[in-house]
Amino acid sequence: MSNKQRYDDISDDEIRIIGDSKEPRNIKRLVILALVVVAVVAGVVALVVARPNTALTENNETEEQIPIYGEESEPVVEDVVDTEHFSRIKVAEGERAFTELRDTTINDVPLRLYIPHNAELSLHVGKMDREDEDVVYTAEAAFIRADNHAILGAFVLKGEPLAWGLSMRGYCASIDGEVTVGVADNSPLFEEAINSGGYFFRQYPLVDNGVFVANEPKNKSVRRAICERRGEIFMIESLTKESFHDFTQALVDLGVDNAVNLAGSEAYGWAIDRDGVKHEFGTPNFYTGRGKMPKNTNYLVWRVKDSGVEASVAE
Amino acid sequence: MAKQLIISTANDLVQIAPEHIVYISSDGNYSTLVQADGEMRMVSYQLGQVEKMISDQLGKDAGKLFIRIGKSIIINRSYVYYINVSRQKLTLSDIRTFSHTVSASKEALKQLKEEIEKSIK
Repeated sequence: MSNKQRYDDISDDEIRIIGDSKEPRNIKRLVILALVVVAVVAGVVALVVARPNTALTENNETEEQIPIYGEESEPVVEDVVDTEHFSRIKVAEGERAFTELRDTTINDVPLRLYIPHNAELSLHVGKMDREDEDVVYTAEAAFIRADNHAILGAFVLKGEPLAWGLSMRGYCASIDGEVTVGVADNSPLFEEAINSGGYFFRQYPLVDNGVFVANEPKNKSVRRAICERRGEIFMIESLTKESFHDFTQALVDLGVDNAVNLAGSEAYGWAIDRDGVKHEFGTPNFYTGRGKMPKNTNYLVWRVKDSGVEASVAE
Repeated sequence: MAKQLIISTANDLVQIAPEHIVYISSDGNYSTLVQADGEMRMVSYQLGQVEKMISDQLGKDAGKLFIRIGKSIIINRSYVYYINVSRQKLTLSDIRTFSHTVSASKEALKQLKEEIEKSIK
């Protein structure tokens, strides 16, 4: 084994004492290797034992039905996946809040990552102030019902519950500056948000502890999500129209641990980058007079920490 | 003079005492040295190459100050202040002037915790 191979030969689940003369710890790999050997032996034994029964059905199989080992394409994953965090920049604690934008492509799905820095997450109901310089990222959060414009799924705005529904299993909470993204039928964070003046909303679950979550809608659209990966919270937007399936698979292949959907398609929002440049997405129909904003339209807002903004409901 | 770590490239050179390094993180083809004085220095070596330099230059004893955690970080074990396995958080601090929280896999943090625990036995 060359030196380079030796020093690169470590997985994220391993540690290595540097300077230790022993070879890198490979106990886990040895265990896996042993398990693979046992599995192969067991498989061969099972094949031998089962062969008389399966022989009866072999002739009925068409070529298309036979899965060919090695034929399944591997996901195309950009180099970002192996990084500890997606953020690529160093940010001083006192630096003014901003959103880092990173573009990548996973499985041919072009994605834009929005990584907020020195900002805190809250929710807002009603029109956003497009001139508010403290807002470094905003996007529509929970869906609203088409019939009565009620918020779909439980929703807490600065400790005040505005909706109690459980129709969506994905949730996002921001409590005392800590953001949690997860999937659960009932979450204690709903009550906690009420008790501590926090924020909580529900949406379609996309990724649950690294596992793909299937969703019903099959149409293609620009998709958005709020994600958590190794403790890092960020938003993702597909730069092309995608099905829930392809978008969610891209998140899984990106290594996202938990993700819930955000309103996609033409839903309006923006991000402010480090240079103060505003990047808008969606269509600002509700702000230009081309459409009347439905009651309870709500936004996820990343804002400069301690900006002192208390009001979260706009008329 | 106690052993120093020297990282030299075609254009520049960094010489630093091991105890002044808090951690070194991977940034693709580069590595970022986070120092105890709060400075960060990017060096044009991959983390595996930096690990080799530490191992070669500092020898067994000094080298044992450092632990590689997964693909993306090398830490100075003497600054390990807090490990939370379930939250996948590791805080490196001198309790006075700096505190850096990084994340790692649960399995790696579990192993790190066991490694630190071994030092009190």
